[in-house]
Amino acid sequence: MLLELRDVSVSYGKVSAVRGISLGVPDGAIVTIIGGNGAGKTTTLRAMSGMVPLTGGEIHFDGQRIDGLTSDKIVARGIAHVPEGRRIFPDMTVEENLRTGAFLRRDKPGIAADLEQVYERFPRLRERRRQMAKTMSGGEQQMLAIGRALMSAPRLLLMDEPSMGLAPVIVEEIARIIEDINAQGVPVVLVEQNAELALELASHAYVLETGNMALEGPADELHDNEHVRAAYLGI
Amino acid sequence: MLELLAQTGLNAVYAASYISLIAVGLVLIFGVMGVINFAHGELYMAGAYTVVLMYTDFQVPFFLAVAMGLIFVGCLGLAMERALFRPLRDNPLGGLVASIGFLMILQAVAAMGFGVRMEHIAPVTQAVIEFSDRVRLPVARLYVIIAAVVLLTALWLFLKKTRFGWALRAAAQDPEAAALQGISIKQTARIAMFIGAGLAGIAGALTAPLVSVNPHMGHSVIITAFIVIIVGGVGSLEGAVVASVAYAIIHTFVTTFYDGVIADIVGLSLMLLVLIVKPTGLFGSADRA
Repeated sequence: MLLELRDVSVSYGKVSAVRGISLGVPDGAIVTIIGGNGAGKTTTLRAMSGMVPLTGGEIHFDGQRIDGLTSDKIVARGIAHVPEGRRIFPDMTVEENLRTGAFLRRDKPGIAADLEQVYERFPRLRERRRQMAKTMSGGEQQMLAIGRALMSAPRLLLMDEPSMGLAPVIVEEIARIIEDINAQGVPVVLVEQNAELALELASHAYVLETGNMALEGPADELHDNEHVRAAYLGI
Repeated sequence: MLELLAQTGLNAVYAASYISLIAVGLVLIFGVMGVINFAHGELYMAGAYTVVLMYTDFQVPFFLAVAMGLIFVGCLGLAMERALFRPLRDNPLGGLVASIGFLMILQAVAAMGFGVRMEHIAPVTQAVIEFSDRVRLPVARLYVIIAAVVLLTALWLFLKKTRFGWALRAAAQDPEAAALQGISIKQTARIAMFIGAGLAGIAGALTAPLVSVNPHMGHSVIITAFIVIIVGGVGSLEGAVVASVAYAIIHTFVTTFYDGVIADIVGLSLMLLVLIVKPTGLFGSADRA
C-alpha cells in the first residue's frame, strides 16, 4: 500500500468526526471515499494532509509514518491535495497560482515542462494565464486547483469534491481529466458526494457513515450493493 | 501662493513616506498573520529610541544607527511572533489583546530606560535643498522620502518576483491552501513579522531627529496607520500606499490652510465616508473584511 490509514480517529473539540477508520490506497489506483454530508469524508482527507490532528491511529505513506507532520512537510513527501471549494489564490494570476504549486521544487526545466503539460491539459488556463484567478468561472477554478496540485509533481493526489457546484458537462470533463491523470501513473484518492461518478472512476471504494466505515470493496461491487444503491445512487 | 502650495506638497510627500512605511508593515502583518498588531506604533517608537541610544548616547554614525533600528525592531517582531502570535494562532482576538499588552510593556521599558521627557537628538544634517526662498526641503526629510521609495519598491519586487515573496502573498490570501503547496506557515509568519516590524523601526529611526521622541509617540502614529489601512482596504498593500499618500496630502493641506485639529477631523470623516460608500475600503476584497 502506498498510503495506509490505521484506526484513524479525529475530533473537533468534543465532537468526534471520524472514528477508528482504516483504509489503504495501492500504488496506481483510484480509490474513492463516498458518503453523505457530515460523514467525515473531508475530515479523513484533511487528516491525510496534516490539516487536522489525529486523536488516534496512524497514517503511513510509502512505508513511513506521516501523521503529526505539518501540511507543508507532507506535501514535500509527495502528497498533493486539491481542497474542497478549490481554494485558489484569488489575487494571483493563473500562472502565479500554478507556479506556487511548484513552491518546493528547484528543478527549473522540470517545472517549465510540467507547466507546459498543465497548459496542454487545460488550454483554457493558458489563454487566461495573466488573468487574476478570482475572475474565472467555477469550472476553470477547479481546473486551476487541479493544475496547481499537479505542479508539485505528486506521487499521490487527494481530491475533495472536484465536481461540487459544477455544470454536468464540466463534471464530465473533470472526470476524464482524473482518469487521464491516473493513467499517467498518479494514484488518486477521490472524495465525492456524487457517488455515481466516484464509483465509475474508482477501482476500490469506501463508504463512510457518521464517522464510521460502513462498507468497503471493489467499486463495481459497491455499485451493485443494495444499501449503496438505495442510500447514495438514488436507484 | 504657488510657493505655498509647492511647499505644502513637499511636506505631504514627506508625511506620506513615513506613514506608508508604517501602514504597509501593519497590513503585511495583518495579511499574513491575521492579527491586528496594536503595538505597531510602539515598534516605531522603539526604532526612534534605538537612534537616541546609538546615535546620541554612543555616537554611532547616524545611518548605522538607523540600520540597527531596522534590525533591532525586526527582531522585536520575531520575538512577538514567537512569544505571542504563534501560541495564539487561530485566536485573532487573543493576538490583538496580547499586542496591546506588549505595547504597554514597550512604553514602560522606554519610560524606565529614558524617562518620560522628550528626547532631543542633534540634527543629522542642517542641509536644506532650496527650490526658492519659500520652497525648501530639509535633507533629513529627503532621507525619509528616499528610504520609503527604496524600501517599498524593494518590498514590491520581493513580493512579486521572489519565491518567498510569492509564499507570503499566497499565505496572506489563504494560509491553509498555501500550506498545501508546501509553504511553511511558521516561516511566512516570521518573514512577515520581521519585515513589518522592521519597516516601522526604520520609520521611527529616520524620523527620530525630526520629531519629538517620547515613550508615547506611537500613539498618534498608530491611529493614522489604522485610518490609512481601513481606507485602503484592510489586507491590501497597494491600498495602504495609495491611502497613505491620499491621507498625507489631505491632512497636510488642511493643517496648513486651516489647522491640525480640523485635519484630524477631516481624516476620520473621510474614513467614515469610505466605510459607508465602500465598506471593504478602496482596494479591499469582500472576503477579507
